[in-house]
Parts: sequence; C-alpha cells; structure tokens
Amino acid sequence: MKTRRMARVRNQTLLFIGLAVFTFINLVPLIWAALTSVKNPADAFTVPPTIFFQPTFQYHREVWLDRGFVHYLINSLIVSAGTVLISVPVGSLAAYGLSRMPQRRASPILFGLFTIRMFPHMLLAIPFFVMGSFLNMIDTYPLLILALVAINQPFTIWLMYSFFLDIPRDLDEAAAIDGCNLWQTFRIVILPLARPGLTVAALFSLLLSYNEFLFALVLTGIQTKTLPVAIASFGGEDVSDWSISAAGAIGIMLPIVVIMLFVQRHLVRGLTIGAVKG
Amino acid sequence: MRWQRGLWLFLVPSFGLMTLVLLWPLGYAAYLSTFDYYLGSREMHFVGLANYAELLGEARLWHSLWTTIVIALGSVAAEFALGFVLALALYRLTFSARVFMIFLFLPHIITPVVATLFLKWILTSNWGLLDATFLTFNLNPPDWLGDPIWAKICVILADAWIFTPFVMLVLYAALQTLDQAQIEAASIDGADGWRIVRHIILPSLVPVIVFTVSVRLMDVFRFFDTIYVLTGGGPGTATETITMYTYQLGFQLLQVGKASALGIITLIIVAAIIATFSRVLQRGYGRS
Repeated sequence: MKTRRMARVRNQTLLFIGLAVFTFINLVPLIWAALTSVKNPADAFTVPPTIFFQPTFQYHREVWLDRGFVHYLINSLIVSAGTVLISVPVGSLAAYGLSRMPQRRASPILFGLFTIRMFPHMLLAIPFFVMGSFLNMIDTYPLLILALVAINQPFTIWLMYSFFLDIPRDLDEAAAIDGCNLWQTFRIVILPLARPGLTVAALFSLLLSYNEFLFALVLTGIQTKTLPVAIASFGGEDVSDWSISAAGAIGIMLPIVVIMLFVQRHLVRGLTIGAVKG
Repeated sequence: MRWQRGLWLFLVPSFGLMTLVLLWPLGYAAYLSTFDYYLGSREMHFVGLANYAELLGEARLWHSLWTTIVIALGSVAAEFALGFVLALALYRLTFSARVFMIFLFLPHIITPVVATLFLKWILTSNWGLLDATFLTFNLNPPDWLGDPIWAKICVILADAWIFTPFVMLVLYAALQTLDQAQIEAASIDGADGWRIVRHIILPSLVPVIVFTVSVRLMDVFRFFDTIYVLTGGGPGTATETITMYTYQLGFQLLQVGKASALGIITLIIVAAIIATFSRVLQRGYGRS
C-alpha cells in the first residue's frame, strides 16, 4: 500500500514538472516580447540575447503617448462598447424566444445560426467594403459596429440560449398566470435571473470585438483604426522599432488577461459554443 | 398554449439585423461576382459566369486551395496530438490544474494579431530569438519565413500555438464527463494506463473529436490574421491560402468581381464540409 502511494506522489510530481516545463516553453514568445519591450537598444540586439539588464519603461510611454496608441485604444473601446451594447440585448431577446419554443422548432433555427457562424468572413468583407464606399461610411464607427454585431449574433444567441434553458419554464407559466404578458415575463421575471449569463455574453462579445482584425482592417481608416490594425501596420519589418512595437503588443494584451481572469470559470461554456476567435 | 404565439416577435430584431447585415451583402456579393468590376472604376460589365470560369482555370486558385488543405491538415493534426496529451495530463493532475489552464490558455485568448507578432519576433531572420540562439552556437539557421517549406511549417505551428488551447479545453471538458467507475474497474482488472486510454477514453471521445475537427476545418477557411501578419502569403505564394488569395484579389488588385466569385466558391466548399459533417454537427452542437 505504501509503495503505491509513493508511486502516486512520484507520478503527480513528474506530471507537474512536465506541465510546468511545457507551459514555460509555450509562453517563451510572450515572455520574449515582454522583455524586449523594456530593453534599452543596447541590450535589444545582441548575440547571444541578453536576459539580465536594466529595464526601461520609456517605450511603453512612447507608444501610447507619442505614437497615437491612446487614440487607437479609444477607437477600440468605442467599437467594442458599441458592439456589446447592441449585440447582447438583441441576441438575448432572440435567445429567450428560442428557448421558450418547442424544441423541434428551435433546433433547425439554432443549426442555421451555427452555419452562419461558419461563413467565411472574407466573403462578407468585400460587399461590406463596396457598400460602405457607396454609402460613404468607410472609416466611421457605425459601419464597423454593425458588422461586428452581425457576425457576433450567432454566438451571443447560442450562449444566452443555454443560460435561458437553465431557467425553469414553470416560472414563465407562473408569471403568465399572475397576468404578465410575454414582454413583462421576460423583462421582470426571467432577465434578472439570467444576469450571470448576460455578464459572460458581454465579456465574450467584448473580447471578440476587441480582437477582431479583418473587418477592422478593411472598414476603418485613419480616424477609426482599432488597436489590432494599428499594431499590425506598425509591428513589422523595421527592426529599430521593435521595442516600441513590443511595448504596444504587451499593452494590448494586458486588458485581455484581466478579462480572462473574470471569465475563467465560463471558458468551457463560452468556447465550446462559439469560440472567441471571430 | 396561446401566449407563446408572440414569441416570434422576440426573434425579429436579431434576425432582421442579420438579414440586413449578413444575407443582403451575401446576395450582393453573388451579384458582384457576375461582373467585371474594378473597385473605384465607373464601369461594370456583366460577364455572367466568366469570373468563375477564369478562376477555375487558374493554377493560382488550385495552388491556394492545396495550401489551405496542407495547412488545415497539418495544424489540426498538431492541435489534436498536443491538445489530447495536455488534456489528459491536466485530467490526471490532482492539484493546480486550474492555474495551468490559465497559463496554457493565454495564446488562444490574446488578440490573434498580437499573438502572431510574438511568434514573428521569434522567427524573424538574424534578430529573432531563434536565430540569435542559433548564431550564438555558430550554427547556420534556415530562413524560417523566407523559405517556402519552412514558411508553411511556421504558419502551421503558429496556428497550432493559437488553437491547441482550444482543442485542449474541449477535450478536457469531455474527459470530465467520463464514467469514473468504468476506468477504476479497468484499472483494478489490471489494465495499464495506455490500455485505459486506448480502449476506454479514446472511444468515448470520438463524437467530441469529430465535432471539433469539423469546426476547425471550417475555421481554416476563415484563417486570415495570422498569415497576414506572419508571411503575408509569401514567400511568393507559398503560404497563400484561399482566404489570403481572395484578400489579394479584392483589396490589393481591386478586382472586386473576381474576388466575390472566389468568395462564393469558398462558401460552396464550406457548405460542402457542413453538409458532410452535418449529422455529427447537429448531434455535437446539441451537447454543448
């Protein structure tokens, strides 16, 4: 019995060390970028690469203040907030409707939504751009927000649907007997109970719109450029700008890490339904 | 029940919006695909299906399709091999699995453009971490992003870096639902770890695996951010997937008609994948 327990402890330790080593190696690109962002030029390009050095936060300041990233951050926030504020209410309404329908009616609609989620986005980007040009709406917030809300709908509906299903129908029926109409039932009885779901849906929609690249690339310009577009056009070839780009990239990543800590418990539900990547 | 009639009204805002912003542009793309039309020019010539005929007769299209398939198979295989090992390790670990989960998940949840830049700063020739390390030991590294074959491998690895956590999470969630009693019974009967994995765990994961594979296969037809940032489709057209080619046509060469036709072709391919897997998908999505 004792040897068995020792074998168990040994196995667990080996497993832990193996995972720890893999996790570290897996995060080397991220760690490397974080180090680059606080390196002086003298330390940045050396062979062999330096690991110990005097850190500087000069580049973090420079990228946000002198290179206009504050402006792009504001754009990103406007677009993300707009998307969440439209997408979650509209999606919740539809999700509630579907969750209270007979299964045989809701199922094909839900599968249709799944199919829409699988649309190649490039196919939509072209007509969006052409129509946006006709309407003179390229480089405006509403166009990008509208596009993001639309591609976000299937995911939001799916997620909220799964939360509404968890709320017993008896409550709806009780509310109906008490004289609530459908809207009152939804608004007064059901929606408050679905609040955790709303938070999760809002956070995932926020991530999706904050991370989205293709539509932002095609539909924005100098005025409304979001952070991913800015860093992509910035962070490329010129080696002398590396420290600044790295500082920008790390800065863009930080809010996501914070959100991640909040949604952590719901990752499985959120991701197996939709996927954060657009 | 009578009061349920009004339920349809709840769907109106969402489906109205999707019709306006998804289906209408889709129809418009189909319309554009029958024209010879350059972005910004005043003239539009109706050409019927000539854009499609031209594309299908083009080596570049078939090449991009082939590249898409290679990248899809390579990355999905890598993601499942690694994702399964990780999920199993986390499943077996009796403590701190949650902390590992957070760190392992980071590459998937950060902005794809940013994640790709992190990788690019490793792979860039001379100054990237990988080359700097090679040069430290006086070794001559290959040109990771400049060599057609290495560039493909790098794109596959980048996709795997970003999406393995997703596969890991789905498989880990599926492992949690396994029947513990069955596994214990097998281990009392003297089955070793490998046989338990091979004969009990893997078979019960098959539906989840097929579901996730088909989702990932369709994702590859939307895979854009990483290739755009990492290689831009290059060197030459070595990493140009069908999505990347559509982007080049539409937004670099401004041949909007032809690009729309290519978009419609992509849609048909994705629809074919959905139709092939539809049984599995319909069962799979009901589970979540």
